[in-house]
Amino acid sequence: MSNPVIEAPPTAPAVTWQEGEVLARRAAARNKRKRLALLVAGWVVLLLIWQVAAYYLPFGTLPNPLEVGAEMWEIIASGALVSDFMASVLKTFAGFGVAVLVGAPVGYLMGRHNYWKAFFHDGVTVAGTIPALTYAVLSLIIFGLSNLGPVLAVALVSTPYVAINVAEGIRGVDQQLVKMSQAFGRSQQQIRREVYLPTIVPYMFAAVRMSFAVAWKVEALTEVFGGTNGVGFQIRNEYQLFNITGVIAWMALFIVFMLIIERLVLRKLEAKVLAWRPEERVRT
Amino acid sequence: MAVLTVNDLCKTFGAGTARANRVLDHITFDVRGQTFVSIVGPSGCGKSTLLNIISGVETHTSGEISVTSDAGKPARLGYVFQDPRLLPWRSVRRNMLYVQDADDEVTRRRVDTYLDMVGLGKHGDFFPGQLSGGMQQRVGIARAFAVEPDLLIMDEPFSHLDAITARGLRAQLQDIWAQSKKTVVFVTHDVVEAVELSDRIIVLQPGGRIFEDITIDLPRPRRQSDPAVATLQAEVLARLENMKAMTPQVAAAG
Ligand SMILES: Nc1ncnc2c1ncn2[C@@H]1O[C@H](COP(=O)(O)OP(=O)(O)O)[C@@H](O)[C@H]1O
Ligand SMILES: [Mg+2]
Repeated sequence: MSNPVIEAPPTAPAVTWQEGEVLARRAAARNKRKRLALLVAGWVVLLLIWQVAAYYLPFGTLPNPLEVGAEMWEIIASGALVSDFMASVLKTFAGFGVAVLVGAPVGYLMGRHNYWKAFFHDGVTVAGTIPALTYAVLSLIIFGLSNLGPVLAVALVSTPYVAINVAEGIRGVDQQLVKMSQAFGRSQQQIRREVYLPTIVPYMFAAVRMSFAVAWKVEALTEVFGGTNGVGFQIRNEYQLFNITGVIAWMALFIVFMLIIERLVLRKLEAKVLAWRPEERVRT
Repeated sequence: MAVLTVNDLCKTFGAGTARANRVLDHITFDVRGQTFVSIVGPSGCGKSTLLNIISGVETHTSGEISVTSDAGKPARLGYVFQDPRLLPWRSVRRNMLYVQDADDEVTRRRVDTYLDMVGLGKHGDFFPGQLSGGMQQRVGIARAFAVEPDLLIMDEPFSHLDAITARGLRAQLQDIWAQSKKTVVFVTHDVVEAVELSDRIIVLQPGGRIFEDITIDLPRPRRQSDPAVATLQAEVLARLENMKAMTPQVAAAG
């Protein structure tokens, strides 16, 4: 080279980009295995404690895990599982649908205009801090023995979450993108669909995640007292028959089912819908 | 291509109040045909305001302004902003289609043609977050060209990019522009960039008056490495020294 100041480019770095990618993926897989092992260990310990407690408590108070397992299997085999679970799930989602219909417009107004925020703010905050049990009782008083009670309870619990998150989402809308859209002559409707809505979607998922954790418990609770079908209704049935094993079996199935919806269905859906986010891609 | 006429244009923000701020002061110029005009001036001298008035996003206080296509119809405008301003949740191709009025076969083919032109023909299905800043800005440029505007408005489109990327994009912009025959109004605070790209440079001074209106008569395609370009760049810079002498805040702002 004629110019000695310009050095030759450095040789390839110690770890190439592709190798780095492979290493990172391996580390992620190791972490995943570790987490899975701990998850299983947690369940085993829980079942052991249960088994020991069942052994030492007076006969008939607490059935052991095996008895409950057998009962669960019976419920599954009888087909009751599907019909009653579907009933509970439908009521939960119906309630959440109502929450979206009410909470999203409220949140939209709160996010768009400061005076609407002033109007709704304290009401929404108070509604969000009232114990879920209160909503269950209120729904029972209003609807008595009916399917609408659980729906209303879920709606009441979820609405503040939806409103608060949508409001935050609206405030998070990138005004530069709105201006770009206007410069290119996009209509208000297009801007709402292509800019506002996609901004809010992650916030909606946050709302679902937060409210779901409470909503399905409230749903079941309301069914226990005023349901005509569903998981809570079945739990009350078994209780009235003094079948403790049945009560626990239904409870356990319910927990498993809701964990599946929460962990698998909702998270998978979220990862799919939010695939555009760089951080989502890194994680999957 | 478009005909842009600006006649005795003034803009005062907060007119009639104690904090009235005259930003554009009796601006007159016109642009027609396949011309590349740069508007140059230090930060805060009203360049973006002028563009916003041209595009109708901002009102003016007095004077006249009109933008029409050559055929005398209302002009279609295209924009390239300082940052890419892409929808992060839409693929590159969907971003381009978003600002189109139709979503038919012809439109899609046109969108792909312009993506090819900026060298991103293989990246149509990528999300913006998967591209580098320079690539995103190229999408922004392709998006503006793909609406086939009569008048293309660019507001400091390369100022957020590193020098090497900006240099590559300037070359690419010239090539696309040469093929597409559009009127371009290009805002920059970088005189060197303006000389490389423009047929004509309108220099604004702080306070929003036109300081000079310079015609750049150099053969195309121009490249920054071309000595003739460098010579003219030095010459224009020297002429603008006078403005700095007259208005000391320029040196600080620019
Ligand atoms: N919407 C606005 N309201 C009040 N003043 C503004 C507004 N937009 C810009 N200005 C003022 O106008 C002047 C010119 O701004 P701008 O056109 O953005 O300058 P440039 O693009 O040349 O950097 C600045 O002093 C700025 O403070
Ligand atoms: Mg500006």
